[in-house]
Amino acid sequence: MDAGFWVLQFLNALQYSMLLFLLSIGLTVIFGLLHFVNLAHGALYMMGAYLGISAAALTGSYWGAFILAPLGVTAIGALLYFTLIDRLRGAGPMNQVLVTFGLIFVFLDIARLGWGDVALGLSAPAGLSGTSNLLGVSYPTYRLFIIGLGAVVMAVLWLVLARTQIGAMIRASVENGDMAAAMGINVGRLFFAVFCVGCALAGLAGVVAAPVFSATTGMGISILIPTLIVVVIGGLGSLQGAIAGSLIVGLIETVGAAFLPSFAAVASYLLLAAILVLRPQGLIPARGT
Amino acid sequence: MFHQTPTRSIVLVFALVALALYSIYGGYFAREIVVEIAILAILAISIDVVAGFGGMVSLCHGAIMGVSAYTYGILTAKLGYPALPSAVAAIGAAAVFGTVVGWITARTTGIYFIMATLAFGQMAYTVIFKSRWLGGDDGMGGLPRFDFDWAGIAMNKSLPFALYALLLVLLCYVAAAWVMRSAFGRTLCGIHSNEPRMRAIGVSTIIHRARAMGFSGLLAGVAGIIAGQHIQYISPELLFWTVSGEALIVVILGGLGTLIGPMIGAIAFVLLKHELSGYTDHWHIVVGLVLIATVLAGGRGLYGQIEHWMTRRKARGAAQNA
Repeated sequence: MDAGFWVLQFLNALQYSMLLFLLSIGLTVIFGLLHFVNLAHGALYMMGAYLGISAAALTGSYWGAFILAPLGVTAIGALLYFTLIDRLRGAGPMNQVLVTFGLIFVFLDIARLGWGDVALGLSAPAGLSGTSNLLGVSYPTYRLFIIGLGAVVMAVLWLVLARTQIGAMIRASVENGDMAAAMGINVGRLFFAVFCVGCALAGLAGVVAAPVFSATTGMGISILIPTLIVVVIGGLGSLQGAIAGSLIVGLIETVGAAFLPSFAAVASYLLLAAILVLRPQGLIPARGT
Repeated sequence: MFHQTPTRSIVLVFALVALALYSIYGGYFAREIVVEIAILAILAISIDVVAGFGGMVSLCHGAIMGVSAYTYGILTAKLGYPALPSAVAAIGAAAVFGTVVGWITARTTGIYFIMATLAFGQMAYTVIFKSRWLGGDDGMGGLPRFDFDWAGIAMNKSLPFALYALLLVLLCYVAAAWVMRSAFGRTLCGIHSNEPRMRAIGVSTIIHRARAMGFSGLLAGVAGIIAGQHIQYISPELLFWTVSGEALIVVILGGLGTLIGPMIGAIAFVLLKHELSGYTDHWHIVVGLVLIATVLAGGRGLYGQIEHWMTRRKARGAAQNA
């Protein structure tokens, strides 16, 4: 095993982490703000991939899909918000888990009806389809683009949350929703906006992942569990937690799988169980304890 | 709290007799459906014990069922032990697995409990999925059924096996009802509705939670034995978290916290699935929409809704008489 092997593994881990981050940040903020468990988040990711493929076919360009798919998923999310999610906010975790589990079924069949059972591919945009030389390894440029995109989203979200008034309002509402409402923050509208951003990021993750993994109807369910692990490990509702969690899970599942395959598969579940039992608030909790 | 009302007894007997008649006169395909219903009904009853009475929504019951089925497979197909003691050991293994998971996760509640059980269930799934010795994702074949030839019962025929599965449903229901009516069952309900108060009067909530998961695991273990004996083949899919999710759906469709509801739910779910798959390939969307509608309608489920109407009518009658 030379240095190039490690660089390759590390880049793979980083690329997977960025996808997990795009998904988990939406899930974690939705939980932190709305106390809502959205198992259908993976389904939104799947819809992002499929809508992206259709949008690319329609506009003839990857970038059309890149813009339209997140918008489409946001529209789906808004519809869900007004029909179900707003109604279930106080309904307890079991009802939320059940309804969103039902939504997984519904979206699964919508995807099968609309796009069929075959795995669909999406080609990477012309400028990003080759390979680049990085630290002595040739690596697909498109995957570097995913890493860069994740880093940009991370930076933007951090800036918004930490440095703007909207960010302060979101943090206040996560910390104490009633108090924030009493201070004149329109918590309901804020929730809706945050929910839409979370859906858009899930859709973005879907369309970005499509050229690498190709779109299948099972992709939503298979990404859901790692995303939930990231969210719980990092701490529900916490941005830094989602960053740390996605890097940890990404590293375990790619680098770990490269040289300890039998252990790596169990390792993230072990970590999840250990966190839940020993430190249920997560590694980097959203609210001060 | 659980009460074995006359209505529940009548529904139980009626459902079991109907299923028995269906398997006697319905031919091979009907018996396959009845066995499928029996497995799902027992699994759903075992989830109802923890979710309906203890408020512990578990996503690892598929895994508990799988632990039982795989233990049975290892002991019989791999190591060649006789079927009956192996089944007892396998059910014991499921109960132990349930107790351990219950004990470790006993301090967590709500969404954290759901996630923790998911983690342990997926761990068991992954271990079996990755194990070459257990067949990995190819599964394991050659699981024997019980040998009752000495009594003149040929278990390899479909009818005796279907009736045997129904008998186990009855046994599991009676066991669950008996435990839920006992002091332990009452305590479990108490912990669900007010945990700090139960702790204040000296109840160890952790031990009760762990025991509840253990008893529930025992029932899920019985379902695992039937599942293993039915097609005499098992695969890791049995342990995947969506199996637990589907069983939870059945509990909700039937009526949470009623024990008889999950059984009605299992009958409705399996029949609906087979009816719909005759018309369309997309029965999942119907199940999903029915589930969402059930939860939004108040989450009482089929049986729960009927019982709700009956008690309301009774209450109205009592008010008029007064």
